[in-house]
Amino acid sequence: MSDRTSVESVSSTQPRQNTTSDSTTPLGGGEPSPAASPKRSSRVRPADAIFRGLSTGSAIFIMVILAGVALFLIVQGMPAIVANWQTSPELNDGFTSAFDSFWTYVGPLLFGTLWSAAIALVIGAPIGIGIALFISHYAPRRLAGLLGYVVDLLAAVPSVVFGLWGIIVIRPFLLPLSDWLNTYLGWIPIFGGQVTTTGSTILAGAVVLAVMILPIITSISREIFLQTPRLHEEAALALGATRWEMVRLAVFPYAKSGIVSATLLGLGRALGETMAIAMIISPAVIVSFFVITEGQNSQTIAANIALNFPIASTLQRQALIGTGLLLFVVSLAVNMIARYIVTRGSSKSSSKKKSRQKPLVVPTGDATSTLTRDLVADKNAAAGPEGASA
Amino acid sequence: MTALSPRTVEKGPVPNSLTTGQLPRFAELYIFGASAVVSGVLLMLIGFDLIGWLVLSAVVYLVLLGILSSLVENRRKAVDRLVRGLVTVAFLLAIIPLISTLFTVVSKGIGALSFQFITQSGGSAFNPDTLEVTNTPGALQAIVGTLIITGIATLISVPIGLFTSIYLVEYGRPGQWLSRTVTFLVDVMTGIPSIVAGLFAFSLFTIILGPKAFSGFSASVALSVLMIPTVVRACEEMLRLVPHDLREASYALGVSKFATIVRIVLPTAIAGIVTGIMLAIARVIGETAPIFMAASFTDNFNSNPFEGPMQTLPVMAYTGFAFPGTDIAASNNSAWGAALLLVILVVILNLIARVVAKVFAPKGSR
Amino acid sequence: MKFKNVATAGAILVASAIALSGCSSSTPEATATATPTAAAVDYSSLSGTITAGGSSAQANAQAAWTTAFTAQAKGVTINYDKSQGSGGGVTNWTAGSYDFAGSDSPLTADQQTAATKCGPNGAINLPIYLDGVAIVYNLAGVDKLNLSAETLAKIFSLSITTWNDPAIAAENPTAKLPATAITTVTRSDGSGTTKTFTNFLSQTAKDVWTYPADSAWPIAGTSAQKGTSGIVQAVGAGDGTIGYADHSAIGDLKAAAVSVKGKDFVSFSPEAVTSAFDAAATTADTGIKGDLAQKVDFTAISGTEAYPIPLVSYGILCTTFADAKQKELTTAYLGWIGSDVGQKVAAKNAGAAQIPEKLLTEIAASLALVK
Repeated sequence: MSDRTSVESVSSTQPRQNTTSDSTTPLGGGEPSPAASPKRSSRVRPADAIFRGLSTGSAIFIMVILAGVALFLIVQGMPAIVANWQTSPELNDGFTSAFDSFWTYVGPLLFGTLWSAAIALVIGAPIGIGIALFISHYAPRRLAGLLGYVVDLLAAVPSVVFGLWGIIVIRPFLLPLSDWLNTYLGWIPIFGGQVTTTGSTILAGAVVLAVMILPIITSISREIFLQTPRLHEEAALALGATRWEMVRLAVFPYAKSGIVSATLLGLGRALGETMAIAMIISPAVIVSFFVITEGQNSQTIAANIALNFPIASTLQRQALIGTGLLLFVVSLAVNMIARYIVTRGSSKSSSKKKSRQKPLVVPTGDATSTLTRDLVADKNAAAGPEGASA
Repeated sequence: MTALSPRTVEKGPVPNSLTTGQLPRFAELYIFGASAVVSGVLLMLIGFDLIGWLVLSAVVYLVLLGILSSLVENRRKAVDRLVRGLVTVAFLLAIIPLISTLFTVVSKGIGALSFQFITQSGGSAFNPDTLEVTNTPGALQAIVGTLIITGIATLISVPIGLFTSIYLVEYGRPGQWLSRTVTFLVDVMTGIPSIVAGLFAFSLFTIILGPKAFSGFSASVALSVLMIPTVVRACEEMLRLVPHDLREASYALGVSKFATIVRIVLPTAIAGIVTGIMLAIARVIGETAPIFMAASFTDNFNSNPFEGPMQTLPVMAYTGFAFPGTDIAASNNSAWGAALLLVILVVILNLIARVVAKVFAPKGSR
Repeated sequence: MKFKNVATAGAILVASAIALSGCSSSTPEATATATPTAAAVDYSSLSGTITAGGSSAQANAQAAWTTAFTAQAKGVTINYDKSQGSGGGVTNWTAGSYDFAGSDSPLTADQQTAATKCGPNGAINLPIYLDGVAIVYNLAGVDKLNLSAETLAKIFSLSITTWNDPAIAAENPTAKLPATAITTVTRSDGSGTTKTFTNFLSQTAKDVWTYPADSAWPIAGTSAQKGTSGIVQAVGAGDGTIGYADHSAIGDLKAAAVSVKGKDFVSFSPEAVTSAFDAAATTADTGIKGDLAQKVDFTAISGTEAYPIPLVSYGILCTTFADAKQKELTTAYLGWIGSDVGQKVAAKNAGAAQIPEKLLTEIAASLALVK
């Protein structure tokens, strides 16, 4: 056993350090360097220059596309945002007639978007990460490959089908549960209100949303879990950590930023999901925390656009695009907050971990008891998921 | 490696301190059986319900396991067992809706599938004497449309997305404004509502081509806008996971940066990249709203992406459900058929992608 | 290079906006000569593509019309995008993307003004599709239901909440009405069907229904579903549900017999819709020559032969086309739709009612004005 496997390196949360993908390579081959670029010789090869140009060009191109979309949204949305909603005859007709200004219209929609996405994420993210962990670290290897595939498949089911599935399966399935929740837990505000009779509630929508974001969260988390350096895992196990402690000490810190990325991609889909929500939920443009009522479900921005776009007049169309602009801003804010949490969290925990190595200070008495056949069997299984995705 | 995982294991229980405080070997199975029975009996008293039974069994199982393990073994062991149980239960719970969705699609769609359905486009015939219009279901126009539109979108997005992620990981330095801005913008792009992407692409093309700019290509552009952020995010994540030692070893041998990326970094990350790209394709292949906006709708066969409306499988599924013909059952039937075809199409694409990944992936275990 | 494209695109956008606002075309005075019904015309020489879209109420009829028309005019391709809805159809048509728009409501004055591409004579609305709004319900043990306009208004404004309410019982003396709670199912998306139905309620039950005619459902608290198919699904799946939908799309759901006055309850039939429409509709005076926008006075509908909630849908086109070929194609197609055969095809294959013959002649006359 390599005696360079120091406690620090295992508990380190910096994924980019001292990792080897091939476990036959000795650990710690080079000093970790945070920046990617090595010292290059002054001679620049043409292929290098072209490649660099292409990469940079693509990055810039993305900026151009986004600028285009943003410009389009602003140009299209502005007239409705600044319009006088009380006097405009176009806006006093149809679905915008009940609102005094763009902001009173978009406020409830904004709430509904965040609310439904939040419920979906609360249900979906832990389960998604759980499945990923199960596939990468718990399931037998053969099963893991198959399961990974089934989950991937699900990402391909069009949202229309999810909508229909929600209508014919989830709605009836949740009906008795809604009744039960309303009867026994109705004192909790979100389960209150007039309970549904057809099942088209925000709860049903959020459950379907959760299922829709599962494949995204699971696939990416799984890939990342599988990339955890085996030496980190084995070092943790060798020190007497149980399987869960190994996951907590070696896998999670390594995969943290990836998990957040995966969750954010899932959240992005949940925020922007249109058709499934539009088909399942019976919406109203109000702020409501009720999750199992028929007429008091907060509408989401994307579904509202899809529902009203066909009938909208020109200015109303612009109002809808204006709400789209806001959705844009919201996902931006959500992403920024999440990124902030990731960077702050990782810098804090890494500095903390270095000073305090408690998790790996295994009580001597326990260490012996955990080093049993059970552990060895676990380890053999741990070697299993390698390449399960291939 | 071998030093870390001894292959020589004593057979049978060894009567020493190492096995003290161990739950018996199949304890988890016994406990699960017991909790199933207990919750079954409990539910019998208030009215039996299959789903309630499963859920209650799971809860009882976890509680029992936790208690027993912490009594017989120790707290750490108990937590470990509990988490294993939780992960398994989460998995089993989650797999139910997943299977249910797939089952719904397959069972409802399989009836519509036939050789004819796949190989001919949907058509209708008019009988001038009876004034009757008869429809023959067919999905060829939608299959071709899906392949063309998604194919072009992939051709646009994958190079842009992959190169951008290479830029972010290999060239851009964390503090640099361009890489910071691009990361930020990619985050923003994930939030573009799909209908807006469709409108954007259509408006762009109307500016260039005039008002009748409906085409498969403009739908592809709309899908690319939706696809690029997913590709960048997934690829970036995967490239970042490639250990630096590999790169440094390559540089140390005097290999150029270009060759290092192409020969070392990309092959190492290829499985993840392919998964990411497939996810991105899967995400857009089922879109309907942008297709309606940018490629309009048609029942006619059209294989020219640069002119005229085009139909895709999700559009066919959506219209079949949302605007059924007078024979509602027949419309729904062909809609489910289209949905199933879409899933099958993605399975095939996935298989191809996996083969590609395998061919390019480095030999040996990761 | 791509950046350049976007930049040019932006420049053209500005330029075209300026061009649009300053655009006007000179057209000679229209001289109207009505041609007889278009049925005898030979369409086989036509070729080209008609791009259109809008109202989903017309979807099934348009599908049948397209098939039947292209069976005679082999060189013509017709793409009708039913997913756009009336508003989307008009918006795309105004932008020039469509040759004609299908819409459940005629152009408003503003939309008429916005349609600058149509030249000084503006655009015309042609009523080409007629159907009825069905009141669908699902109530165990009740196969036949009579509802007056006033009771309907009370149910849909949520002031009657159970099926055994005296108001319903009074109109259904023989039915065994359970105490089931009423779940009203309405459209969550904007719709011409909603507009027709709310228009009907606001005209016939003024005291109870105080909301204006609107394409968006005005009251919160109902079960709001997406599209006619959503309503049909939700009504069919629940018990004690009631909703409204285009009659041609309700499948095998039960529909109530309706009356304006509270007596003479009439069930849906295409003939009953045609006769009601004949009695209630008058051509509105929009000041545009050839425009056939209809004004429906629901209170004028009475008797046992007229179904009280007719739903009319329009084909909207310019009186002046920029492209002579598109004009020929579009007027030929709409002219054929407005012929006796065209209406019969819709009746046979889409369950539609026929537009009264008097109006068909006017449609032909209006189409003759188009240049």
